[in-house]
Amino acid sequence: MIRVKNLWHVYENGREALRGIDFQMGNEIVALVGQNGSGKTTLAKHLNGLLKPTKGMVEVDGLDTREHTVAELSRLVGYVFQNPEHMFFEEDVFREVAFGPRNLGLSEDEIEARVRWALRAVNLEGYENRTPYSLSGGEKQRLAIACVLAMRPKYLILDEPTTGLDARSSESVVKTIRKLHSEGHGILVITHDMELVLELAERVVLLHDGRKAFDGPVEEFFSMELHDYGLEKPELLRISEKAGVGFVRNVPELVEALAGGGR
Amino acid sequence: MIYPFYSERGSLLHSLDPRVKILGTAFGIAAIMLYNDPKVLIPLFFVFLLVGRFLGKIPVGEQLRLLKPLLPIVIITIIVWPLIYEPRLKGLLFGISFATRLLTFALLTFLLLITTNQRDLILGFVRLGMPYEFGLTISIALRYIPTLYILSRNIMDAQRSRGWEVEKGNFLVRAKKMTAVLIPLLVASLKTAHELSIALESRALGASEKRTFLYDIRMGRRDYVAMVLVLVLFGLTLYARYGLGIGHVEIYG
Ligand SMILES: Nc1ncnc2c1ncn2[C@@H]1O[C@H](COP(=O)(O)OP(=O)(O)O)[C@@H](O)[C@H]1O
Ligand SMILES: [Mg+2]
Repeated sequence: MIRVKNLWHVYENGREALRGIDFQMGNEIVALVGQNGSGKTTLAKHLNGLLKPTKGMVEVDGLDTREHTVAELSRLVGYVFQNPEHMFFEEDVFREVAFGPRNLGLSEDEIEARVRWALRAVNLEGYENRTPYSLSGGEKQRLAIACVLAMRPKYLILDEPTTGLDARSSESVVKTIRKLHSEGHGILVITHDMELVLELAERVVLLHDGRKAFDGPVEEFFSMELHDYGLEKPELLRISEKAGVGFVRNVPELVEALAGGGR
Repeated sequence: MIYPFYSERGSLLHSLDPRVKILGTAFGIAAIMLYNDPKVLIPLFFVFLLVGRFLGKIPVGEQLRLLKPLLPIVIITIIVWPLIYEPRLKGLLFGISFATRLLTFALLTFLLLITTNQRDLILGFVRLGMPYEFGLTISIALRYIPTLYILSRNIMDAQRSRGWEVEKGNFLVRAKKMTAVLIPLLVASLKTAHELSIALESRALGASEKRTFLYDIRMGRRDYVAMVLVLVLFGLTLYARYGLGIGHVEIYG
């Protein structure tokens, strides 16, 4: 369980990025949404200890993040940064994924086992000898996930995992996220892609100006006036509402609802 | 934050011709290189702080904040000189004098950048006979300092999330660890540079030999007065140093 209690964060320049956030998550897929500058990244960086609370508390499976280093917390909470290229520096994919486990001081056998497992989990088997920078956009994103996954964290944070990817690449990332969730990982996806929220999330947390403006099921989230928070309702939902079939998650559901209604 | 230093404040320094400010900065830097006695250099530093405060309308606190990143180098300079120079007290003296020079050098540069916008700065260099690319290169480089700083912090955070800890280990181990940050930083910078070069080329930078300018600068009476003042002050510094022999302590004697 990740527990955030009355979390405040004030940056060095005096900017109050978070003002009293309460938040909990377990083994679910949570979408963290909100306008640019609403505090999503700031909140997420508290969950693996990159930032420490100015006031309030963050606890991961009973560990207070103030009392543990990022390296210690990295075994519990994996953070996949927005731009995968910002972490690649090794000459091949195998060594890139091995970097994390190696920092944990594991044996060579254990490291190799973890690399193989992580590459399989993101569907990149056979890429061991490729140069990370030579991969495609979706492959890079999945490699970044593998790099963090190799630390064997229980929770995964993904910052804008599909931004800048084409439809097929983001589909491969979405598949990977679903698979990891079904294997018991708790996943927090930061995004402003409302289509992705609709397709993937079980729960939505909306930040606005450093405060939590909404926390609840996806359907309820999309029934709100999203414009007030600078967000757009997905095209699919507009169509389904116009067609009078209400809330649907994806195109097949819409088609089925329409076909069912016509019968 | 497009351009990290410049901010419009409508002061005397802001309104001067960039050529005067560039030459003034150059003469100021030359002046501090003439002296090595802290008894002269330290007051000089404060004089420039006051120039920034009253002629440039830049609060002293803000000027000092800009200099803060230099603190580690300043401290190292002050500590190392007495260690390698006998007698130690004189070493300390030189340490302080070099540190003060460094701070004054940076302060003068910042004053120029804060009070001159990018366009005028480039124009100033060009009108002083420098190639256009020179001014452009300088202002682009300055423009990217904060970007690179934010980028490197971001990369460090990404690697720390993979259990990377730079604090651990001796100097060599740490240096080796830095590759995990330097390589992504290098790649990202090269990418940015490449994109920038495309942007510049697609706007036909360097297509014509002779550039024309939409805006131009002209020296007014105030600018000439300021220029003469700078020259007179520099002349006085030369006289004080070589005529009167003030402000210089023999290092190798
Ligand atoms: N390192 C920092 N220093 C100062 N202010 C920051 C820093 N990082 C973010 N901020 C500010 O904090 C607020 C929240 O930022 P952030 O958490 O990045 O928002 P989001 O991820 O939702 O776009 C913004 O106003 C941003 O400008
Ligand atoms: Mg963000």
